[in-house]
Amino acid sequence: MRTGLRNLLMSLNCRKTAVDVEEELQFHIEMLERNYAQQGMSGAHAKAAALRRFGNFEKVKKQCVEISRRNSQLRRILKTSLIFIALFGLSVRTLSSDYRVARIGAMLIMIAIASRLLLYVRGLSSRNFLPGTKQTSLSLFTDTPDDALRQKSEIILGHSQYRER
Amino acid sequence: MANERTDLMQGTLELLILNTLARESMHGYGIVQRIHEAAEDLLKVEDGSLYPALYRMEERGWIKSEWGVSENNRRARFYKLTSTGKRKLEAERANWNRISKAITKVLQAT
Repeated sequence: MRTGLRNLLMSLNCRKTAVDVEEELQFHIEMLERNYAQQGMSGAHAKAAALRRFGNFEKVKKQCVEISRRNSQLRRILKTSLIFIALFGLSVRTLSSDYRVARIGAMLIMIAIASRLLLYVRGLSSRNFLPGTKQTSLSLFTDTPDDALRQKSEIILGHSQYRER
Repeated sequence: MANERTDLMQGTLELLILNTLARESMHGYGIVQRIHEAAEDLLKVEDGSLYPALYRMEERGWIKSEWGVSENNRRARFYKLTSTGKRKLEAERANWNRISKAITKVLQAT
């Protein structure tokens, strides 16, 4: 019964993630479409251009959902483990009459609390647990004169790396 | 303008996103537009591929997102920098400076 309820909750959560991702990506496509329409394209052409520029919708959606799920599942597992460690430490601390064992219990509680705080402050980096992820595409138009390119680079980064020397 | 493409160094897109979000919170479409405008179309971010990058950055704790209302009254997810993201931006900027200086030196020497 409890497992069934948990599976149901997880399935609902996953579905919500997928719906949220889809809504976000759909918003982007609609904005592109609007932009193209404002430039004078017909509705059908604007839609086609927007979809072309966006790329593979399903692939992007799948990647985003995957990252979200992976993140939330790891987070859940870690949080649950920390609660168990803290509870175990508390029971050891209160039930044990041996000073040394009670001290170990107190240490477990502190470790669990510190880890939970660290998770809260730093967030959860999947890079610490999983293999590296694929980089996204960023391309540079290469027929531009070097000076123009430098200027743009400065504008984008808001930095003066080329002026320093 | 030719559409010849060159792959940039890993992490460049993340740096551009962090830099774009340093001023204000934005949705994905806004981020792409801002990068295109600032680069005057010299740099081209593939729109769809921005999102996996955003999700990974959120997963790493550099940015965080919340749902809000866009300029055209649509529900949209807005991203903003976290304090970890601000530190990451500074580190990546410094790293970019080091690399570009080193490459410039090598190119000037040959």
